[in-house]
Amino acid sequence: MSPQLAVTLIVFAPLAGALVAGLFGRLIGHRVAQIVTTGLLFVACALAWVTFRQVFGGAWPHAFTVTLAPFIHVGRFVSDWSIRIDSLSAVMLVVVTSVSALVHLYSWGYMRTDPHRARFFAYLSLFTFAMLALVTAADFMQLFFGWEGVGLASYLLIGFWYEKPTANAAAIKAFVVNRVGDAGFALGIMTVFWAFGSIRFADVFPLVASHADLAWRFGSAQFRLMDLACVLLFIGAMGKSAQFLLHTWLPDAMEGPTPVSALIHAATMVTAGVYMVCLLSPMFEAAPVAKGVVTVVGAITCLFAATIGLAQNDIKRVIAYSTCSQLGYMFFAAGIGAYPAAMFHLFTHAFFKALLFLGAGSVIEAMHHEQDMRHMGALWNKTPITYVVMLLGTLAITGVGIPGLDLGFAGFYSKDAIINAAYVASATQGTAMFAFICGVVAAGLTSFYSWRLIFMTFHGHAKWGAHEAHGHDAHADHGAHGHGAHTPHESPWVMILPLILLSVGAVFAGGVFDESFVGGDRAGFWGSALSATTSGTLLDQIHHLPQWVVLAPLAVTAVGFFAAWYYYIAREGLAARIAARRGLLWAFLYNKWYFDELYDAVFVRGAKALGDLFWKGGDKKLIDGLGPDGVSEVSYAVGRGVSRVQTGYVYHYAFVMLLGVAGLVSYALWAFR
Amino acid sequence: MPLQAIAFYVLAAVTVFAAVAVVFARNPVHSVLFLITTFFSAAGLFVLMGAEFLAMMLVVVYVGAVAVLFLFVVMMLDVDFASLRQGFARYLPLGALVAAVLTVEMVIVAADVAHLGAAASSTGPATPSAVMTNVEAIGAVLYTDYVYVFQAAGLVLLVAMIGAIVLTLKHRPGVKRQSVAAQMARTPKAGVRMVTINSGEGVDA
Amino acid sequence: MTPVHLAALAAPQLLLAGASLVLLVVGAFRPKAIRLVAGLGVLSLLAAVGVVAIEPLGRAFGGDLVADQGAAFAEAVIYLASAAAILLGQPWFARRGQARFEFPILILIAALGMGMMCRAADLISLFVAIELQSLSLYILAAFEKSDGKSAEAGLKYFVLGALSTGIMLYGVSLIYGFAGGTSFARIAAAVAHGASGGVLFGLVFLICGLAFKVSAAPFHMWTPDVYEGAPTPVVGFFAGAPKLAAMVLLARVLTESFGPALAQWRQILVVMAILSVAVGALAGLRQSNLKRLWAYSSIASIGYALIGLAAGGPEGVQAMLVYMTLYVVDVTGFFACLAALAREGRPLESFADVSGLVRQRPGLAVAMTVFALSGLGLPPFSGLWGKFYVFKAAISAGLAPAAVAALIGSVVAAYYYLRLVKVMWLDAPEGQIDAPPAEAAGLAYAAAFFVFPVVLIALMALDPAARAAALALVQG
Repeated sequence: MSPQLAVTLIVFAPLAGALVAGLFGRLIGHRVAQIVTTGLLFVACALAWVTFRQVFGGAWPHAFTVTLAPFIHVGRFVSDWSIRIDSLSAVMLVVVTSVSALVHLYSWGYMRTDPHRARFFAYLSLFTFAMLALVTAADFMQLFFGWEGVGLASYLLIGFWYEKPTANAAAIKAFVVNRVGDAGFALGIMTVFWAFGSIRFADVFPLVASHADLAWRFGSAQFRLMDLACVLLFIGAMGKSAQFLLHTWLPDAMEGPTPVSALIHAATMVTAGVYMVCLLSPMFEAAPVAKGVVTVVGAITCLFAATIGLAQNDIKRVIAYSTCSQLGYMFFAAGIGAYPAAMFHLFTHAFFKALLFLGAGSVIEAMHHEQDMRHMGALWNKTPITYVVMLLGTLAITGVGIPGLDLGFAGFYSKDAIINAAYVASATQGTAMFAFICGVVAAGLTSFYSWRLIFMTFHGHAKWGAHEAHGHDAHADHGAHGHGAHTPHESPWVMILPLILLSVGAVFAGGVFDESFVGGDRAGFWGSALSATTSGTLLDQIHHLPQWVVLAPLAVTAVGFFAAWYYYIAREGLAARIAARRGLLWAFLYNKWYFDELYDAVFVRGAKALGDLFWKGGDKKLIDGLGPDGVSEVSYAVGRGVSRVQTGYVYHYAFVMLLGVAGLVSYALWAFR
Repeated sequence: MPLQAIAFYVLAAVTVFAAVAVVFARNPVHSVLFLITTFFSAAGLFVLMGAEFLAMMLVVVYVGAVAVLFLFVVMMLDVDFASLRQGFARYLPLGALVAAVLTVEMVIVAADVAHLGAAASSTGPATPSAVMTNVEAIGAVLYTDYVYVFQAAGLVLLVAMIGAIVLTLKHRPGVKRQSVAAQMARTPKAGVRMVTINSGEGVDA
Repeated sequence: MTPVHLAALAAPQLLLAGASLVLLVVGAFRPKAIRLVAGLGVLSLLAAVGVVAIEPLGRAFGGDLVADQGAAFAEAVIYLASAAAILLGQPWFARRGQARFEFPILILIAALGMGMMCRAADLISLFVAIELQSLSLYILAAFEKSDGKSAEAGLKYFVLGALSTGIMLYGVSLIYGFAGGTSFARIAAAVAHGASGGVLFGLVFLICGLAFKVSAAPFHMWTPDVYEGAPTPVVGFFAGAPKLAAMVLLARVLTESFGPALAQWRQILVVMAILSVAVGALAGLRQSNLKRLWAYSSIASIGYALIGLAAGGPEGVQAMLVYMTLYVVDVTGFFACLAALAREGRPLESFADVSGLVRQRPGLAVAMTVFALSGLGLPPFSGLWGKFYVFKAAISAGLAPAAVAALIGSVVAAYYYLRLVKVMWLDAPEGQIDAPPAEAAGLAYAAAFFVFPVVLIALMALDPAARAAALALVQG
């Protein structure tokens, strides 16, 4: 099979599945729709691994582009449908198709009683297609297409249970918040086109050096075009990757089915922002201000999301904030210039975060759609496999490993690489020190909330037998679960199998790929896909650091673990009492720093008030009054006047004719005197 | 020349005066009579220009036929002219204004003409000549150069006739009409029936 | 020039005149053979179209008669529209017990007059042709004797028509006086170095007289009343062919004899055009009678055609010809729809009458919708293409402000076109509608089919034909 055919199949197999399941779902039934979509996804996944092997094995060209069809050709603005394969997209192909395939499989079990399964699988496959189009884009236009495509799929999937008002609201919120980012993204693309006259990466990147000092004058202010473009593009990334200020949609997106959360809101779509920054690394290298912004926003998100995670009780929301926080790590890694580290963390995070989400889904399934961790506990022997894989996931996310031996779970390699790189970079970049501190503190917080999740869910006393009326999530009304027996149960094998496969990734993805991604082999691995200007020096030095820096992450992780153990095992109930007192700090964290309230007050109500003002005052009174309404009023009145002249009397008509003659003659004589 | 000039001014003045009187006369019969006066004076102007034939036609057709027809119609129809004139005063100012504007403009144009002269290369009216009378001159072109429009004019008259018939002719059912042809074609065979009558029985039609 | 040659140049006119005379005799002796007369009338009109297509080109009678592509193009359209009028009108009158053999003959003579108008290049033949046509139309307007409104319409039309004739004749005599001749060539020679005030004065009067015939504002006052009163098929005829004839005549007068005075008459036409569009759009807003409404619509349409003509040159005249041709089809089709619709014998004429039409007569409702949207100028219907030509010509002639004004008029007029569509499609129907007669419905469907989609193909033939016609008219 030629490389071109293989990658084309990878991208379009999910689309074919989506079309079959989406258009003919009713005709072919759920079972066939499931088999078709999942089967095609596994085909795509297998081909993606083949591509990965061949590209890095050297059998295939290290970077190539397949041009499929013209998209937009207007003047100098040229965009084609194409598939760009290089190290970066090869990695993403593997991540996206693997997680997607496993999530498809997992959904067989998780969604087995849903009456709209065919639609669900169609959406999932559609999402996968859009994501693949995004990561294989060869120009900004297709990138934007994929960007919007995943946004659409995300909207559809968050609102999958459309009967549920909260799901609808969450879907709309996700869409609207993303529009803010997309506006920036679109402006960024325009700026790029303006500056370079092209939107093809292959055209733009070589020109960066010569265009680096282009500036745009606005009034008395000067903006470096490169900084402007990168900051605008990063605003797009902030929206998609739920970074600080534009993060509010991500926790609400948990209204969607859990497999969706795993695929879209943990492993793939939300990392699109990180992917984009890495992809555009040649541009960001020429934009120091933009890099600073990326670093600071990433660092803040990393710490801020972790703090909120401390106080949440919904199992999925905890993981959602954890995702947010981990994305912060990736961004500040990219911001300081350690793009390989960012991509490495993206890669490992995809596995362990998907694992955690799917594990949480298994727990929810076991608890008959209970999501509140306060109603769980002591599940470890009821759902042993889920317990084990969740434990592995937690070890991975907290980055447990032995620094001296360089041996540990996936997160150990990637997260430590980021934190260490930040320390190295702090020598030259002011913002990097801030990022380093945030990263270390957040590592401790991560450990705390991750272990808190494990302890509250699997240990302690069982709190699920005590009460009958537990909360339900959307498909609680399916009634298919034996509601007579409330004993938690292990999930079916279709759900367990993906968990096991993912846990393999969570354990080994770090160790196996460490050398290639950030280690000594990285130059050969990444080729020209990532800018090595800064990352070269950064990553060379991370192995020559003071001992305290190397040990710091592990130390705070241990502190977090023991704190969680103390609060939730040793002194079980202490945390609940703290919560019951509703202290200021607790309320602040529990209410997510009051961001939703703030946005509601400032933007939602403000925009509404502004809209009201423009609508009632500006549009209805001013524009409509003078414009359409006024004009139609006048037209109507004039029409009545003209009709009134039409009296029916011949002499009136004759008089008007004579008037016309006199008028025209006068006009003619006056005009041509 | 002075005689002709005097005749022209007299006739022209009478024409204008009579035309104004047509409009302003209170009695419609007077109006028609003034109209006849106007026609007559116009015919006189034609004569002055050497177009005797046109002058005669004007007198014969317009005075002899059209105006007299008008007169009959006006006298026979019981039209309440007083009520028709009711709005006259009301519309007078506006009407007068329009009329004044048009008059001023015509004067301007007339002044233009007096200043610059009319068409430079005018062929002028067909002047009476020794070789050809007025009637001959018209006859010479009427069926040659102008045969197309002449025939078309004939069609116009035909249409007028068709129109008059279409709009006024009504076949009322039940009206007994005389059919001369039918009467003439009647034979004894068609009109007479010979019957033999037995005495005492009578005839049942 | 031999008599045969002369006869060949006047062939369509001779054919129609002869046919009308023969039919008159046939009708006089066989008053019941109305269908025969009507059928022969249609046939002779179709034959005239054929003759127009093949006859030789040239001038005769010192310019009284011009056979050129301009005349041929317009005559073909006019004769076809006239044939449609007979097809539509004869059964219509028959259904009302008003059938008379004079109807087809009057249409024939009117068509003859219009053909002569198209061919006139002399003020005398211009006048006679107009009178021949007008007189026939006056009678046709009053043709439905039992209807008082029809008689009133005929009378009003006649009286005001006489006034307009007077105005025109005044202009003609002024032009004659200043140009020293009546033929267009002669006038052209006289104004070659600029028109004097007197000629201009006469020209304005002449334009005013012709403006009455095309019902351009401010000489439009008769239109709504006459359209409302006159029999529907006759109105369909009135609104189409005579206006095309008058526009062609106007184009010939203005471009052939007053070509050098383009700057002057353009101004007058633009004023009338904008007035027409404004009146047509604004006054139409308050109408409840569809025939009156379409009278205003036709006034507005003439406004657009005048803008095309005002653009001048081959491009402007071509735009006018294309616009008028498409308009003739549109308006004929619309009145065919109206002629097809009746409720217990009473014709449907108001908005209230056609409410919910789509539920009872979907075919006719769709056809009427097509005509309304075409009148509005919505793509892809024929009205759009006509306007497109006009605006293109206007803009390239530097008349963009006039085009913009006309566009604004279109927007206002959209109200009543869309109102008709709304009433037919969304309102509740009332009462049973009679089965539409085949000929009217067929004509309506054919016209609707032309308006879209046939027009897209027809334009390919129409464009070069109109272009040749325009060149012939402009170059004289």
